Amino acid sequence: MDDLGALLARVSLKDRDCFSRLYKASSPKLFSVLLRILRHRTEAEDALQEVFVKIWQRADRFRPEDGKPETWLTAIARNHAIDMLRARKPQASAIDEAYDLASDEIDPETAAVNSSEGDRIENCMRILESDKADAVKRAYVEGLSYQELAELYNIPLNTMRTWLRRSLLKLRECLGQ
Amino acid sequence: MSEKPQDWDRSRDEIVSGEYVLGVLSEEDRRRVEARIATDPKFAMQVRRWQTNLADFNDGYQDARPPQELYGRIEKRLFGEGESVQSGVWQSLWGSVAVWRTLTAAALVFAVGFAVADGIRLPWATSSAPLVAELTGMDSPISLVATYDFASGRLSVTPAALKQDQPKSLELWLIEDGKPPSSLGVLPEDGRGDILITADLRTAFSAGKTIAITVEPLGGAPDGKPTGPVIALGKTKLL
Repeated sequence: MDDLGALLARVSLKDRDCFSRLYKASSPKLFSVLLRILRHRTEAEDALQEVFVKIWQRADRFRPEDGKPETWLTAIARNHAIDMLRARKPQASAIDEAYDLASDEIDPETAAVNSSEGDRIENCMRILESDKADAVKRAYVEGLSYQELAELYNIPLNTMRTWLRRSLLKLRECLGQ
Repeated sequence: MSEKPQDWDRSRDEIVSGEYVLGVLSEEDRRRVEARIATDPKFAMQVRRWQTNLADFNDGYQDARPPQELYGRIEKRLFGEGESVQSGVWQSLWGSVAVWRTLTAAALVFAVGFAVADGIRLPWATSSAPLVAELTGMDSPISLVATYDFASGRLSVTPAALKQDQPKSLELWLIEDGKPPSSLGVLPEDGRGDILITADLRTAFSAGKTIAITVEPLGGAPDGKPTGPVIALGKTKLL
């Protein structure tokens, strides 16, 4: 298996052979991301082309100190697919509204974890109630919007927002600052 | 649309950056978050942290093989017709040819990663943002990315020279008007690594200066003056 970081460095030098190797090594995963989020094969194929054009153009922006190359590549594919979906189905803007979370208490268990170095996401997810943990993971893996999640869990949109926002805060406490 | 940092408190930033990485935001909100990422290094770091934290969820994506001919379509889009590269050719080129000899004139774009206008720092400019330069050779498959970190005075150049017929060094110069070039140091031979800028030269790092790379005898120019061909040259400028 090729070292993706080394391949990306070469791709940033416009090395086409390494680009081809990078494609071979990473396209099955990225294609899977696109299929899962777009849920449409032809669209996922078109999107995969776009994603690799972006990778070719942006390879020089990858900084090893910022994280793993796999994470960077997956983020490009996820962002591309999510942008496609959001452009197609406009959602209400929500980041200007009041985030009524100040009173959200952190339970002692979470606070105890917080005082340590921080935990992995897998363990932190156990702090959340199971349906909330499930919603967080599905939002990420399937690229669902707040609206879609609300319909899926059969709760009002604002309740879903509160679910995820509080879950994110709890996860942040658990994962470490 | 402008976002003022004071409009976003800390836990709210954690939530918004997390919402962005989860992907639940609207298109408009996503663009606003991205604008903030581009201008606020601390916020950008929060986004990256969520990306790293949530990356374990990526195990939820099983591999799926795209159709065979798809890569050909990508190549065609990027490189045009009839330029399909046979695997291995470039690899051997990289390994054996003295690519650096083929470099003639080169263009250097020195992009300042944050706004410094005539010495006036905008409020959101922080010294943690590095100075980034992309060094591109004309008609050449090679470029370098140089990153200068103000805090540590460290200049990273990645990647750089490959094998040459005779061992040579690549030397980096800072050129100020009316002064002889000052050597910034010799690039490490493997092309990956850092140059620590000496204290007296750190103050000279600003926009409007010329940066050049020359090919010199192994170890660098013997008299502290450039002797070899200039392979990359350009002026620093503001974004």
